[in-house]
Amino acid sequence: MMRGLLLLRALRPALRGAAAVRRLRTAAPRPAFAKELFVGTLRKEEVFPYPEISNEELEEINQFVGPVEKFFNEEVDSKKIDQDAKIPPETLKGLKDLGLFGMQIPEEYGGLGLSNTMYARLGEITSLDGSIAVTLAAHQAIGLKGILIAGTDEQKAKYLPRLASGEHIAAFCLTEPGSGSDAASIQTRATLSEDGKYFLLNGSKVWISNGGLANIFTVFARTEVVDKDGQLKDKITAFIVERDFGGVTHGKPEDKLGIRGSNTCEVHFENTKVPIENVIGEVGGGFKVAMNILNSGRFSMGSASAGMIKKLIEMTAEYACTRKQFNKKLSEFGLIQEKFCFMAVKAYVMESMAYLTAGMMDRPGFPDCSVEAAMVKVFSSEGAWACVSEALQILGGLGYMKDYPYERYLRDTRILLIFEGTNEILRMYIALTGMQYAGKILTDKIKQIKKGNVGMALGEFLNKVQDTMGRKVDYGLVGDRGVVHPSLQESAKKLEENIYYFGATVRGLLSRFGKTIVEEQLVLKRVADIVINLYAMTAAISRASRSISIGLRNHDHEVLLTNIFCMEAYFKNNYAMTQLEKYADENLDDSIKKAAKLVLEKRAYTCSHPLDRTF
Amino acid sequence: MCQHSRPEGDPAGQASGDASGDASQKASGAPVWRRPPRGAQGEGQGPAAFVAALAALEQAPGRRVGRLELVAAALAAMPALGVARDREAYHRLLRLLPRGVWVPRGPFQRLLAPFPRQQECGLQILEQMEQYGVIPDAETRFLLLGVFGPHSRPVRKCQRMLYWLPRLRHVDPHPLPPSLPPSGLATAHLGLRRIANDPDAHITVYQRPVPDEGDDEGSIQPYIVGAQSPDQQELLARHGPARPVFVEGPFPLWLRSTRLSYYVLRGDPLPPHLREDPPDPERSLYYPLHLDLDLERGPWDDDDFDVEEVEEGPVFALCIAGAGDRHTLGKWIAGLQEANPVLGCTPVVFRLGDGEPTTAGAPGGHPEPRLEAAPPRPVVLGPPDPPRRHGHSTSGDTRSGGGPGAPPAAPGE
Repeated sequence: MMRGLLLLRALRPALRGAAAVRRLRTAAPRPAFAKELFVGTLRKEEVFPYPEISNEELEEINQFVGPVEKFFNEEVDSKKIDQDAKIPPETLKGLKDLGLFGMQIPEEYGGLGLSNTMYARLGEITSLDGSIAVTLAAHQAIGLKGILIAGTDEQKAKYLPRLASGEHIAAFCLTEPGSGSDAASIQTRATLSEDGKYFLLNGSKVWISNGGLANIFTVFARTEVVDKDGQLKDKITAFIVERDFGGVTHGKPEDKLGIRGSNTCEVHFENTKVPIENVIGEVGGGFKVAMNILNSGRFSMGSASAGMIKKLIEMTAEYACTRKQFNKKLSEFGLIQEKFCFMAVKAYVMESMAYLTAGMMDRPGFPDCSVEAAMVKVFSSEGAWACVSEALQILGGLGYMKDYPYERYLRDTRILLIFEGTNEILRMYIALTGMQYAGKILTDKIKQIKKGNVGMALGEFLNKVQDTMGRKVDYGLVGDRGVVHPSLQESAKKLEENIYYFGATVRGLLSRFGKTIVEEQLVLKRVADIVINLYAMTAAISRASRSISIGLRNHDHEVLLTNIFCMEAYFKNNYAMTQLEKYADENLDDSIKKAAKLVLEKRAYTCSHPLDRTF
Repeated sequence: MCQHSRPEGDPAGQASGDASGDASQKASGAPVWRRPPRGAQGEGQGPAAFVAALAALEQAPGRRVGRLELVAAALAAMPALGVARDREAYHRLLRLLPRGVWVPRGPFQRLLAPFPRQQECGLQILEQMEQYGVIPDAETRFLLLGVFGPHSRPVRKCQRMLYWLPRLRHVDPHPLPPSLPPSGLATAHLGLRRIANDPDAHITVYQRPVPDEGDDEGSIQPYIVGAQSPDQQELLARHGPARPVFVEGPFPLWLRSTRLSYYVLRGDPLPPHLREDPPDPERSLYYPLHLDLDLERGPWDDDDFDVEEVEEGPVFALCIAGAGDRHTLGKWIAGLQEANPVLGCTPVVFRLGDGEPTTAGAPGGHPEPRLEAAPPRPVVLGPPDPPRRHGHSTSGDTRSGGGPGAPPAAPGE
């Protein structure tokens, strides 16, 4: 089989024709779809029709999918990986032979040069084992991404070929004992040598995925930089550090709850000599590099989660259709059916979101899809966790047993909500980025109203009155010239209405809180939840609409799932928006904060025991 | 709630009270309730003595007379015997009172304020329970009902106490232990824990007292104990060596009836631009910490009160010391330097007031140090009239006569 794979890799250039031009990125960045939602606009040309790949590309990717799927089904022993907390070398070798270590590295450097869409497709399969998925992601989604997006040609030529073949493994070293997402508390320091030829790197990094395997590290450290006022300032710089530079040691692998097979450990640098050519980007420009790497790596979690849930649905459905209780199959019970519907909807929506985002990222130009990617990450990680939990519920006690793989899925899934930016932090990112964008556009209008421009205020008031009377919102999704198939009309209408009122809500919030909205995390969380739902609805409608229009198999099922999801999301959005219109004492925010404050002051649960007496 | 007389009521009132009872006691020599304390010496002082004394009374033959005085005396003795917080002890007292005799008969008698002195006695018991935070229970009420009858003042007070005391029992957000340790290091610890409201604050003993048991006064080396939280260390580091810091005090701190004096190390407020680091756009890797918008918060969401704020400098550390002189406080500052190196090069200004730095007892108490290692005055279970006191009363008198702020000599000497 291996030989067949190698042959496949050799054949690849021949199979691919003009596709090599696809990563030409020259145009100016343009605001993408999600930010526009905050001003209440729907840029339907961005999301309709649902992105497609060409037939050649599809053929190409399918040729990959087969062998990779076969490899994961036959040669990967997830249970053993989980037990031994180690991926066996022969499995790693197999992954390398398949080229999975260089999926997004351009072909000129020996990688597969996959587009984002194709990368997402393969991610669906690699996610069947959490440990392997994380090892691969730490290697290429963040570990070598720095070289890929900000490295010089020499750096690329020097490092990428060996990284693509998997001869070298990469790791991303940002987190420190005292620093998670706060760059100001990074303590690792790089000092320029006297001859100015190399930096001396000193410090420790913790929880580094692949830290024990990697030969190439992307390390972020403080350096002294003379800024434009002529003052010395500490700034973050990104470095490529080889293990052979000396002074690089790592601790023992951490014992973790899930993804146990992936290698996570501390990495220490002690007087490591890093040549000045190994700076990524410019000296003092590490912050941007780190942000770009983190922002670009997230979208693939959507397809990965969807892949895992699809597999899980297969396994649990098998069980539910065979096991009998009270002479009835489990599958005949309504409460079990509900769970399967839930899983199918989640899988469908996160898949739609993931491929929509990947497709947007693959478009020419330089689309800024970081908000969309963050939304995909939040939605899919939470969906995956909920689905695995439901699956375990279907299985009952069986799911809890170590003899079966389900509890491993549960443990592996938990990390999705935590790494690559916790979901809480990403919600802040989504909401605040959108708020910033909307604020820039709306500042003038809001100021006018606040100043007491009667005409404008009156206009706004009339608008509000019209809103309350029930306004017909029409963004042109449905109707004669609509882009949505009529069978999704209801859902599309709901989406349009939600988007319109979301814009109004954002405007209201901006005029109420101004720039202090940064402090209102409970408000921002609701905003983020709404906009994630809106994006999810859009993706699902767009995909289902395409499916039904071109007549894909089981398109009626897709329509059904979409309608279910949109209906639910519509009500959730309406509820959240009603809450957002209220003041803090009405929507419980005040009480929530107060209750938390009391607990945190005492640092304990403060209530008396129910059996306590005073006399 | 209702009027009451202190246990130290004037002897004249008592003499005129239950005349017959008094007479009979005098006839039988020393009253029976005077003897037990000395007789019960074998059982030691404290709760056991109290129980033994009352038990002896129960068994004494003869008419049960003079109960009111007996109760008053017992109430006065309870704190010293350590039973003032013991509900069972109050029940024992109530059981001494005759059952049924003082219950008004018929509605008319009830209207005419019956048995005023007796009810007053019951009220006094409840009053003292209230004072020591003893919550009555069903049994208390039952006993009171037996003695005074329904709707009597003591029963009504008991009901009110049953209502209020449990509710008020846990109102103190910073409760102290039921009995305070003797003043000194342990109390200072308690005091610091109470004012340093940060759970992270470290309480450090910079100097142990010598001798160990030593109270502040007369000891060779006073204790120094201080509190500082990590936040305060950070503030001090930010304050920098360029501006002076001040040691100020003493300030009073009361723990129940014990007065402590504490000192603070503080600085003047920093100019605004130094208080916080300027916002760094390259700080948060994941989401913006500031929005670049020209919009302020609207008045409707400004839920803070409009408070005129007085600028106050930060407090960097707190201490309680056995002595308030510069030398002792200097040692504290020297101890602080270990955790706060910046203090080594910061000018420290001592601004010490003339407040009493020591932990004084009751105001106007005995000012001299205890010369004689006399044991605490043995408790006499007797009515609170001093004239007939025996034993140690002489030394007590000399002592109280010596001090400048001594109370006037006891009457009837």
